[in-house]
Amino acid sequence: MGISVLLEPIILAEIMLQGLVRGSMYALMACGLSLIFGLMGVKNFSHGEFFMLGAYVMFFVAVFMDAPFILGIGAAAAVLFVFGVLVERTLIANLRRRAGRDWLLDAFVLTIGLMIVLQNLALLTFGSTRRGVPQLVSGMTEIGPIFVTNERLMILGASALIVTMLGLFIRYTRMGKAIRATGQDPEAAQTLGIDVNRVYTYTFGLGAALAGIAGALLIGIFPAYPTVGFHPVIKSIAAVILGGLGNVPGAIAAGLLLGVIEAYTTFFLASGWQHVITAGLIVLVLIFRPYGLFSSAKGDRP
Amino acid sequence: MTAETERRSKSTARPRFLSELTPWRTVKIAIVLGLLVFVPYFSDSAFITTVFISAVMFGLFAAIYDLMIGYAGLINFGYAGFIAAGAYTSALAWLHFGVSPWLGLLLAGFVCALLGFLTGLVSLRLRGLYLALMTFFIGEAIRFTISNTPDVTRGMLGLSVAPFPDIFGIDFSRGNHLNYYYLLLVIGAAIMTFMTVLVRSKYGLAFKALREDQLATESLGISTTRYKLINFTLASFLTGIVAGFYAHYLGILSPTPQEFGVPRTVEILTITYVGGRGTLWGSLFSGFLLIGFQEYFRALGAWRLVMFGALLIFVMLYARRGLAGLKKYVW
Repeated sequence: MGISVLLEPIILAEIMLQGLVRGSMYALMACGLSLIFGLMGVKNFSHGEFFMLGAYVMFFVAVFMDAPFILGIGAAAAVLFVFGVLVERTLIANLRRRAGRDWLLDAFVLTIGLMIVLQNLALLTFGSTRRGVPQLVSGMTEIGPIFVTNERLMILGASALIVTMLGLFIRYTRMGKAIRATGQDPEAAQTLGIDVNRVYTYTFGLGAALAGIAGALLIGIFPAYPTVGFHPVIKSIAAVILGGLGNVPGAIAAGLLLGVIEAYTTFFLASGWQHVITAGLIVLVLIFRPYGLFSSAKGDRP
Repeated sequence: MTAETERRSKSTARPRFLSELTPWRTVKIAIVLGLLVFVPYFSDSAFITTVFISAVMFGLFAAIYDLMIGYAGLINFGYAGFIAAGAYTSALAWLHFGVSPWLGLLLAGFVCALLGFLTGLVSLRLRGLYLALMTFFIGEAIRFTISNTPDVTRGMLGLSVAPFPDIFGIDFSRGNHLNYYYLLLVIGAAIMTFMTVLVRSKYGLAFKALREDQLATESLGISTTRYKLINFTLASFLTGIVAGFYAHYLGILSPTPQEFGVPRTVEILTITYVGGRGTLWGSLFSGFLLIGFQEYFRALGAWRLVMFGALLIFVMLYARRGLAGLKKYVW
């Protein structure tokens, strides 16, 4: 295959689309991570396990109960929201109260512990079999010269919808305003009568729900198995950092960008090197723009 | 400072160190050392000896990890990649250039030190999650480079490594576990002594200052950059030496995630935290506890890892000082 064939615009466009689908997963994950990170400073390393649990919920709803997939997405969001709330109440809030000043590094290590526990409990409960759904939506659509599976269109559309809803929620609802106020200044927010602990719990649940939705949506591409969350969590942490500390729109853009870069490097280089390439890119960004691609240099340095 | 006061401060340092060695404590140290030296010797079981080797080896890795995270607050999330670099350096130097594994240990140390220095250099401005991510990618880049160059490293097929050649008439053929164990004890004693002296010196104080408050440290005229580099370079050097031992003792290396990826880093991090960060010696004890536990409950499979994770969560929530928190009752 000559290089000229590789550079056909149609093929390039198809890879672009593939990258955007992958990127929308990173973006959804990164949204939740960035929300939690920006508000509480917690680096949640067990976010990938929330993704994994979402995928399992989807599998049981869509395959075992044979329900429509919309229900599966709703169920994943609900289950993971409750789970996130429980994790925050029982573990993170406890740690914040006990550990005092430098609790953030402790919280990071705690979520690593949670990651090991959840991964291995999943292994014990569900086994290491990959449980997937071949297709949530069937059929193809022709857009100009390229054919796109409806599944991919559904993933892109649903991600865009969810991100828009999140944006509206944060902008206009009472809870959303409380989240923004707490993010700016927790003490001032508390003085104004906002229950800061409740805001933290709610946000953590929301972030977990977003990861669960991502897991449920992508089950056609990433079947559910115990360690499925590892790759997404690393990439979405990278997206959060590329987007800038706690900058949710930046994290979304960076997530999409990472997905596209990954798709092109996988296509043009022998498999195995794409991780080295993305890693190298992120290392370069961390050296030259440690405050992120989409944030300005002012404010807190990492 | 005049020569006179300098000499006096030096002469007062020695009695302070000696005064910590009360008779009772000397006895306890002797008991621990005695157990370390003689249990594998008298047990006469290859299994016990291999468990002791794993425990000391991982205890050492965890203690070196503690030098970074417990003293200077530097989180190295690609630590297993550094171990891989050291192990492969010594193994490949022997395979391709016929370098004796004894020199290979030092060579591995120097290559790792260089890697640590470069890592420090590119992550000078980073802390916390940023540093974790940067080191993670560096570690993974090392691992992928090994697995993607099968012509040199045999990649995922696995590289078989020669045992140490005999030296001073001591037999180091594979299977002679006891001699490997004593070699490891000698290496470990040297490393632990070096690190203990290091953290008690002004370098140790600078590391702690770095961990507590970077800005305040800078304002006191201590170069955080300099001490960060020193910490990373020294810790990586020591890692390389233990990693070289790891390669020649194990005899086979492959760049899988379980051996040189995040699961391995997490394992070492757990040992460090359970032992108690900022103590160095706690890691050695928790190495024995956790590796022993792991070997004993081998039949439990994944439950073992669930308990590992739960233990880590428990330590973070309720016992932040880890095993070192028990020190006042037994030591």
